[in-house]
Amino acid sequence: MQRLIEFRGVTKRFDDGTVAVAQLDLIAAPGQITVLVGPSGCGKTTSLRMVNRMVEPTSGTLLVGGQDVRSRPPAELRRGIGYVIQQAGLFPHRTVLDNVATVPLLTGATRRAARARASELLELVGLPSELARRYPGQLSGGQQQRVGVARALAADPPVLLMDEPFSAVDPVVREGLQDELLRLQGELGKTVLFVTHDIDEAIKLGDRVAVLRAGGVLAQFGPPQQLLAEPADEFVAGFVGRDRGYRSLSFVSTDGLAVHELATVRIGAPAAGPGWWLAVDGQRRPRGWLAPPHPGGGQAVRAGGSLHRLGGPMRTALDAALSSPSGLGVVVDDTGAVVGGVRAEEVLAAWRRHRGNDA
Amino acid sequence: MLEEILRYLSSPSNREKVLDLLGEHVVLAVVPLLLGLAVAVPLGWAAQRVRWLRAPVLGSASVLYTVPALALFVLMPSVLGTRILDGANVVVALALYTVALLVRPVVDALDAVPGHVVAAATAMGYRPARRFVAVELPMAVPVLAAGVRVASVSNISLVSVGAFIGLGGLGQLFTEGFQVRYLAPIVLGIVATLLLALVMDLLLVGLRWVSTPGLRAGAQA
Repeated sequence: MQRLIEFRGVTKRFDDGTVAVAQLDLIAAPGQITVLVGPSGCGKTTSLRMVNRMVEPTSGTLLVGGQDVRSRPPAELRRGIGYVIQQAGLFPHRTVLDNVATVPLLTGATRRAARARASELLELVGLPSELARRYPGQLSGGQQQRVGVARALAADPPVLLMDEPFSAVDPVVREGLQDELLRLQGELGKTVLFVTHDIDEAIKLGDRVAVLRAGGVLAQFGPPQQLLAEPADEFVAGFVGRDRGYRSLSFVSTDGLAVHELATVRIGAPAAGPGWWLAVDGQRRPRGWLAPPHPGGGQAVRAGGSLHRLGGPMRTALDAALSSPSGLGVVVDDTGAVVGGVRAEEVLAAWRRHRGNDA
Repeated sequence: MLEEILRYLSSPSNREKVLDLLGEHVVLAVVPLLLGLAVAVPLGWAAQRVRWLRAPVLGSASVLYTVPALALFVLMPSVLGTRILDGANVVVALALYTVALLVRPVVDALDAVPGHVVAAATAMGYRPARRFVAVELPMAVPVLAAGVRVASVSNISLVSVGAFIGLGGLGQLFTEGFQVRYLAPIVLGIVATLLLALVMDLLLVGLRWVSTPGLRAGAQA
């Protein structure tokens, strides 16, 4: 109970009369990632900023760890709440190490202790130690975001606020940062309140997702599976998108799905028989497909489809099968080596069995 | 011409005088620069934070800078209650010019600090005053330094005007040269003033370079 964030009838009306947040009741459970998602102007950032008093509510109460946030002076309250902002918000005139050491220094740690702590944090978020002496301007966008996360965690706050932290980096880096956040969260178990406008990000990261509509009204609050399977109304259905049936496969396991053996050949070598052959490298990682030979044609390697990690959800299994030129989705293990292949019709058969179990 | 200047400088009493005047010039230019900076930073901070203060502060700074230097020097004794030949007249007048020149760069520099950096600093628990000293001011240094360089050159050139009230550093070489219709001290005064301005400028560039390691070109986000 100690680390919970609770909104009780919170309303924010700005001076010009616009209502950013209307009568919001919400609980961000301890040790979980709670995502606030919605279109721009739905008050999600305003809601987040009321937690650390960067915005003061017009009415209602906000509790962190059971305590009204207004019972403490803002600066003191904020030092106990991690905050990660879009574009990282790093101090360009300070080294990476000193950026991360900011909050420990503010709370009275010695410079030496603060820097030692900062080094630990850089390691935790997966940044090489030689970056510590650099300045933020010398880092890539993804590295800056990692520093931002390290800085927010430096004072070991039980509660972490994240305001669209990954929206300014490219999709590939973003996916890496999301995976990294999930790994960190598995280790640290913070109470995270995460704001995004990206429903895919919300579904991937959230233990529970709150969908807000314009004017700061809570449209639906629940686990991501529930939003996809039973959207509360037209707005939520529209917001979670056209592909929601497909997306909901992210939460269905592939237990019992047959994995077929695949004909593989070392890349560069010719196919050893008829049919499709999967080209692999020395570590048995897939590199592409060799099409069945036809009269007069050579054998070029065709780019492979997406990969399904063994034990992953049905969504990646189906996508691997659908995107593979051979019709066989490639399954890999944690090292990226080929395990076998899956067929789309068998994924769908597994899905039918899953539906049967549910009903 | 060079020959005449060398002849002028060959007299020990002339050399001593030129060095004294150079020292006076440096003091009369640098002290107001520091005083002006010390006033302009908090003033610019206030003008940047308080919306209704901005227009009057920036407006009066512009107006102040258009007052002729000589008029300001002559006015000072009646405003400050000092004697005509008091160095404070020049120092205070030039400090006023420095403030007038620096207030706008301070405001511009603070405006240019990215909002997400200020928001991040606030969210980490900086109170406004400490945030200003630790985050906003250091980030404002590059823009501010450009303003300080202009003010430094401006001060060094304006000190000479003080010669008309008998306190102009190297400018006194001009008045002296005119009185006796002797060109050498005039040329010497001009060259020395230019060199002084150049040296000061290089010092300021160097100071900026060492004080802003993360904000140099090439290290920019």
